[in-house]
Amino acid sequence: MDKARLLDIFRHMILIRRFEEAVYDFHEQKLFGGHYHLYIGQEATGAAVMASLGAEDRIFSTHRNHGHLIARGVDPKNALAEILNRADGTNGGRGGTFHIADASVGMPHTSALVGGSVPLAAGAGFAAKLKKSGGIGVSMFGDGCFEEGVVFETLNLARMWELPVIFVCENNTPGAVLKSAGGNNTSNLPEGRVIQIPEALGMECHKVDGGDAEAVDVLFADCAARVRATGQPIFIEALTERWPGNYFSFPSMVTGVTQVSMAWDGGSISGEHQEWFLNHDPVLRFARQLLVSGVANFGDIAGIDVEVTETIKAAKEFAQSSPLPGTDSVYAHVLAGEG
Amino acid sequence: MTVMTHAEALVAAIRECMDEDENVALVWGSLMGVGGNNDHVEHIKADFADRIFHPPISEAAIAAIATGAAMDGVRTIFPMGTASFMFRAWDQIIHEAGAAHYMSNGAVSIPAVFHVVHGLRGGGSVQHSQSPQSMLWNAPGIEIAMPSCPADAKGLMRTAIKSNNPTVFIDHQKLNKRSGEVPEGAYDIPFGVADIKRVGADVTIVATSLQVVHALEAAETLSAVGIEAEIVDLRSLVPLDEEAILTSVGKTGRLLVVDEAPPRCSVASEVVATVAEKGMDLLKAPPVRLNRLPVHVPANVALEDFVGPNTDRIVEAAKTLCG
Repeated sequence: MDKARLLDIFRHMILIRRFEEAVYDFHEQKLFGGHYHLYIGQEATGAAVMASLGAEDRIFSTHRNHGHLIARGVDPKNALAEILNRADGTNGGRGGTFHIADASVGMPHTSALVGGSVPLAAGAGFAAKLKKSGGIGVSMFGDGCFEEGVVFETLNLARMWELPVIFVCENNTPGAVLKSAGGNNTSNLPEGRVIQIPEALGMECHKVDGGDAEAVDVLFADCAARVRATGQPIFIEALTERWPGNYFSFPSMVTGVTQVSMAWDGGSISGEHQEWFLNHDPVLRFARQLLVSGVANFGDIAGIDVEVTETIKAAKEFAQSSPLPGTDSVYAHVLAGEG
Repeated sequence: MTVMTHAEALVAAIRECMDEDENVALVWGSLMGVGGNNDHVEHIKADFADRIFHPPISEAAIAAIATGAAMDGVRTIFPMGTASFMFRAWDQIIHEAGAAHYMSNGAVSIPAVFHVVHGLRGGGSVQHSQSPQSMLWNAPGIEIAMPSCPADAKGLMRTAIKSNNPTVFIDHQKLNKRSGEVPEGAYDIPFGVADIKRVGADVTIVATSLQVVHALEAAETLSAVGIEAEIVDLRSLVPLDEEAILTSVGKTGRLLVVDEAPPRCSVASEVVATVAEKGMDLLKAPPVRLNRLPVHVPANVALEDFVGPNTDRIVEAAKTLCG
């Protein structure tokens, strides 16, 4: 058991949680407009996947990209500035929440079109194969992508062309209880499952509890090593319990700002979302695992939370003080120049 | 000079670029619409087997794979075949390839080539005859090249492969087997430089692709009746050589634009609008657009001929304009 690795995964998970709480706060304050999506409830998958990826690897995300970027190491200051469409944003303020990307950490482009990023990640695998870089392409996407034809095309091509790619489908479609409460389906598929499709193409497939950071880490580390060795694609379905704040098209903070003390103070948990706090919230789940296994004590968990909370506080101030890009900037970078 | 066909010139450019740069990859398919079994493409297949990828019928995914690979500096040439098929990959070309450089604030560039074969091919019918150039021109971030002869095809293809932008390289089915003189050795033709294919003082005919061939034929007929046409071959739409168009119109005072896309919001519309905005006082007569009729392309070849611009129509339009 690698304590430092597990603590680093936890640190990224709570950093994502605090980041997303900040995004929600910004939206409530009307500091940015339009639709947006939070990664709350899926932190375990994003943080554990990134733990096995290196500088030569490329990751492509979706409209629900914040967690993947933070886990990969994008500076929260620039990511928050991008969400506010400011000049210091990762994309100079022209991408916004849907398109946060940072080529300097191997996340060159984020497509918000359903299924859009899946073949781009295969393209990264194509480049890695051609250049023999040793890198792999990783596609992080949701179950709804399986409604798009291009995803089937991509899985087929990845097999045919033997591309070093890992397809990580975070299946966050709601269970029966949330559906009956009016929750949006994230996908409309006859079996409600997605893994049969890559299986039919003869691809190596795995499913994992996407809310269990350690389980995702163990599986993904093994898969990443094998893809690097064989060059063959692998598909992983990470089954995720839907965060109750993600019922409807706009997030709502029905579970409140996360109290990490809930991990050890069961008496503080009650009310409508008791089941979520006790069994599903991946941040609390992983904190409990770390405590039970002796990797961390209460003070370690609280200390990490204090540290990342300060990081996000500073990032919020940075983002809010960053200027809006000037209108003269709109003409820049329509076409690339020489070199 | 060497005489070669349009298709051979394209293959020569690809061969040179694959020799020069090991980051150039090729999706095979039916290469450039010249077929998979032609002798003049076998050498590429033999020499670059590890950089050639044989595709299933998956335009969208391959276009995006080329785009994703381009983000890491791999220059993929994706011959998509009939231009009508590129609509399958419209989202990937417009929203991913065409937008990535802008969306990343210049951090990422997309050196990919999407090669298509457009136009009235003789029985292509409704779903194999598209001319998507004006639709593409409405999407920022994409370069568009349209050669009319083997020499230009070679130099423009080299530029397309070396460009750091996504390029849609639009050829015409009826150009592939036409022969022409091609300079010896490697040479690039920059985008944004129109070529005056014929000098004349009476009327400017702006054209692209196969319509340049038709315009040159028409010019001979017109010359016989005392009308000297100047033929401006745009060669690329993005970037556009506005200066060449305005200079020629400044000389002739009359503008005829020939274009295989239907008239509304077409290449012809854009050229006429540009001259109206920047050179209205140069015109002695209202400009004329000669487009494919605003209908789908019927399978019947006689009807296909009827809906398209052709040499006879160019002659008639120029005579009326100069009358």
